[in-house]
Amino acid sequence: MSNFLTVKGVTAGYGDGPAILDDAHMTVQKGKVHCIIGPNGAGKSTLMKAIAGMLPLRKGEIEFKGENIAGQRPDQMLRRGIAFVPQERALFPKMTVRENLKMGGYILNNDKALTSRIDEIFDRFPILKERADQHAGTMSGGQQQTLAMARTLILRPEVVMFDEPSLGLAPKIVREMFGIVRMIADTGVTVLLVEQNAVMGLKNADWGVVLDLGRTLFEGPSAEVLADPRIQELYLGGRRAA
Amino acid sequence: MDQIIQVAVLGIGLGGVFALMGSGLSLVFGVMRIVNLAHPSLIIGGAYIAYWGFKLYGIDPLIMLPVCAVILAVTGILFYKVFFERDAKSATYSEMTVLLTFAIAMIVEGALGAAFSNTQRVTSPVYATDAFFIGDVFIPKGQLYAGIVSIVIIGLLAAFLKYSRLGYAIRATTQNREAAALLGVNVNMVGLMSFAIGIGLAGAAGALTSFVFSFFPAKHWEWVAVLMSLVVMGGMGSILGTVIAAFSLSIVAAFVGTWIGSTWSTMTFFLALFLVLLFRPQGLFGEKPELV
Ligand SMILES: Nc1ncnc2c1ncn2[C@@H]1O[C@H](COP(=O)(O)OP(=O)(O)OP(=O)(O)O)[C@@H](O)[C@H]1O
Ligand SMILES: [Mg+2]
Repeated sequence: MSNFLTVKGVTAGYGDGPAILDDAHMTVQKGKVHCIIGPNGAGKSTLMKAIAGMLPLRKGEIEFKGENIAGQRPDQMLRRGIAFVPQERALFPKMTVRENLKMGGYILNNDKALTSRIDEIFDRFPILKERADQHAGTMSGGQQQTLAMARTLILRPEVVMFDEPSLGLAPKIVREMFGIVRMIADTGVTVLLVEQNAVMGLKNADWGVVLDLGRTLFEGPSAEVLADPRIQELYLGGRRAA
Repeated sequence: MDQIIQVAVLGIGLGGVFALMGSGLSLVFGVMRIVNLAHPSLIIGGAYIAYWGFKLYGIDPLIMLPVCAVILAVTGILFYKVFFERDAKSATYSEMTVLLTFAIAMIVEGALGAAFSNTQRVTSPVYATDAFFIGDVFIPKGQLYAGIVSIVIIGLLAAFLKYSRLGYAIRATTQNREAAALLGVNVNMVGLMSFAIGIGLAGAAGALTSFVFSFFPAKHWEWVAVLMSLVVMGGMGSILGTVIAAFSLSIVAAFVGTWIGSTWSTMTFFLALFLVLLFRPQGLFGEKPELV
């Protein structure tokens, strides 16, 4: 078992509503790409929000480097090195690419450091440099997703979470996007992502987590998860209709 | 030709003041999603402060302007703490604040009426009734000064929003509240600060208004609709859009007033509002409808 980041028996919901996550668990290894899959409404986004500190846990723990960090605010999670890009609309559409990157380093509160970090991002993502002074909302979907992912790197996080980064992108762009994910992981940053297309997600990940009805069905090396018959059942079977 | 320039000049002068009035409203709407119907009544409040400063102590309204702005900003903070902060988490926040700000407008009007009576007032520094000519074009100093000061204040606001750290946070919160919070912006503090700045701008506008228009406590009803039409035309929450709408409509209104009749000049704003809602509900500069 890893002792990097562990989600243990997490139960959570919105406001006074029903529990959306019910005893969800997940093991996260440093520097690996983890893919959370599951049907619509399974609670994938909710799990990421819970880890990001956006909704309180009713039960369970989130253990990060040996410490229970459940109950902390999003900005505290960010300071600890856990960054989150929510599903859709993560950017500030009427701010320029550069301004969006500056917002990524808002908590640094240090203009000089920020400028040099933005230059580093520009070196790694030339397309963003090209578009530096363009409004984020006027870029293509793929470029916007690149910006959203690159923006998390400004704070040099240890863990980045991307909720459905492939949403609405053409297949070719999705491949590029997964290339970026791999490039991020190769620098030692741990990646968690949600992917609607289970096969594609698992093929591009090291570890798979299968969520259904707010519960973790199982997790494991992505090749094993991909080969598991339960996946077929979950996505193709008539179990839920019964 | 001279007459055209003449009317345009008057329109620009008023446009500046309306732009200043509208920018505070727009700022508050952008960040807080509060349609602040009390904004014009607070402008009148600012006008009274400038009026009494001049009447009692002979202080020029342009010097009273920062005083009005600060007093109103503090009032804004109090209102925010008392009325708006509690309900910020409610799902019907925007709808509720419409009623709430309507009530505040009436309370402010009543309080001003009780304190200062319903007599028409106007602050009368020398320049308010003074004018000069460029060629044959008649330029009233009061409107000119008010217009220039408004433009300077709007310029400062724009620079503040563009370059300062709080300005970044305000813009980010306006555009995507959740994403701003995720990046460590304290969105509640940003809400409070923009409320204070927005109402402070109402105070500044009040000081200028006090010598450009004659005013009385119920005068704000005339402005509610005018300002709403500016904010809607500007794209709900876009300050630049509001400012452009203010200048263009004020100039059109000045022409309508001169050539068709002064009673029709206010109608310009409503007609424009009507047309915009019909054909471009997202406003002239907005990108998507946010009126619902
Ligand atoms: N803000 C919210 N308030 C109340 N309920 C919510 C909220 N967001 C999501 N839910 C509910 O939580 C459940 C799980 O939603 P969630 O978005 O986590 O699923 P998901 O697995 O990410 O689905 P998708 O594949 O559609 O993105 C759904 O039933 C949804 O209706
Ligand atoms: Mg989701």
